[in-house]
Amino acid sequence: MAMAYNFQIIEDCLKCTHREDRLFCNLSREALIQMQNIKATSVYPKGAMLCLEGQAPRGIFVLCTGRAKLSTTSSEGKSMILRIAEPGEVLGLTAAVSGTPYEATIETLEPSQANFIAQADFVRFLQEFPDVGLRVAKQLTHNCKCAYGEVRSLGLSNSVPEKLAKLILQWAEHPIDLSVKKPNEISIRVTLTQEEIAQFIGTSRETVSRVLSAFRRKNWLRVKGATWTILNRQQLENLVTT
Amino acid sequence: MDHSQPAATGKSGYYLNVTGPGDSRHSGRPGRRVIKQNMNTTSVHNEAANELYAMLSPALRTELAKHEKSMTVPEGTNLIRHGELLDHLVIINSGKVEVTLSCARKQASLGLAQGGKVFGMRAIVAGEPPEVDVICLESCDISILPRDAFLALLKSNPEIYFAVAKVLSSDLQIADRVLRASSRRCAPQPIRES
Repeated sequence: MAMAYNFQIIEDCLKCTHREDRLFCNLSREALIQMQNIKATSVYPKGAMLCLEGQAPRGIFVLCTGRAKLSTTSSEGKSMILRIAEPGEVLGLTAAVSGTPYEATIETLEPSQANFIAQADFVRFLQEFPDVGLRVAKQLTHNCKCAYGEVRSLGLSNSVPEKLAKLILQWAEHPIDLSVKKPNEISIRVTLTQEEIAQFIGTSRETVSRVLSAFRRKNWLRVKGATWTILNRQQLENLVTT
Repeated sequence: MDHSQPAATGKSGYYLNVTGPGDSRHSGRPGRRVIKQNMNTTSVHNEAANELYAMLSPALRTELAKHEKSMTVPEGTNLIRHGELLDHLVIINSGKVEVTLSCARKQASLGLAQGGKVFGMRAIVAGEPPEVDVICLESCDISILPRDAFLALLKSNPEIYFAVAKVLSSDLQIADRVLRASSRRCAPQPIRES
């Protein structure tokens, strides 16, 4: 099996060991064979742009490995991160289905593999296989739910410490396993820069830096490079009012 | 989220009840008048007049229209209430509605919609209670499409999925536009107290 960066490239969807865990990929054998015929596998370095906001839709990307950020530019010209896409997500779906320009710029946050399917092929694929239609609908309902959650948090999280605490607690749902781990400590891997975190919660890099320093000073959080350790989850939860 | 708190309704405080009093999922709330619609009202075949039908073949439109019930509802009717399971799609044929998202004791407006918009698709497809409230801002002509009939047709005609995906994409685009329009620094701006 071919390797790129630090991961194995999954070229054959039928042999992919992750597909049962993923919302879109757990398709019937017939659909997977068809997907195999219409997709193009590519490997991208960190920071690669898969598509740009406003660009005419070319197709969809199924993110196989790695993570990507979906960002947009606000009416005031500020860059905002809408969400972070995880492996298994279909990106560019709304644009491909509705035939409207891509709504967000998609940039890889780490070396990634994505399978590209051209728009016309994807629409035919969706119409031909009922399970593809069902999974597309599920992905879109999931995305809608996430977007509604974001709109809600717009109105409810007013302070930057609260927003940052909320974000850290969300990330804590996917902790990393460390060989040496103390009880009640949760370690997470944070690949976003402070600038990107600021774009995520709608503040400045300086404010993120100041709030993180405060969390560290109070012994709620330990930051060692990309590994952050939550030392006092309760205190972070107390900050989150919703 | 506390769904026991009533969401904002329009001026007259009506809500749509098309299932009848026997359905336990629709608990009537005190202080609200219920518009009980006559289920034998004449069906109207909307020739590609809404975002769902626009993507379907004439044969499928006709098939769906057989299950459709049309009615006129007054200003203030709560067509969809967040947190309550839905057993029908709502198609706005004419009139203006407001879509709001409840956040604790506040309401975030996702905008206005007019004739042609279809509501409840996410709730019907995912089988989850809707997250938004849809309230008539004026007298509206609507059609309702029962969930079971719609899902049965979807199962036997998977090509409808493309139309479903279009409707869901449109809902997602609306939410994304709200996010984009409101810089997160000015968070309270699109939110109003209910």
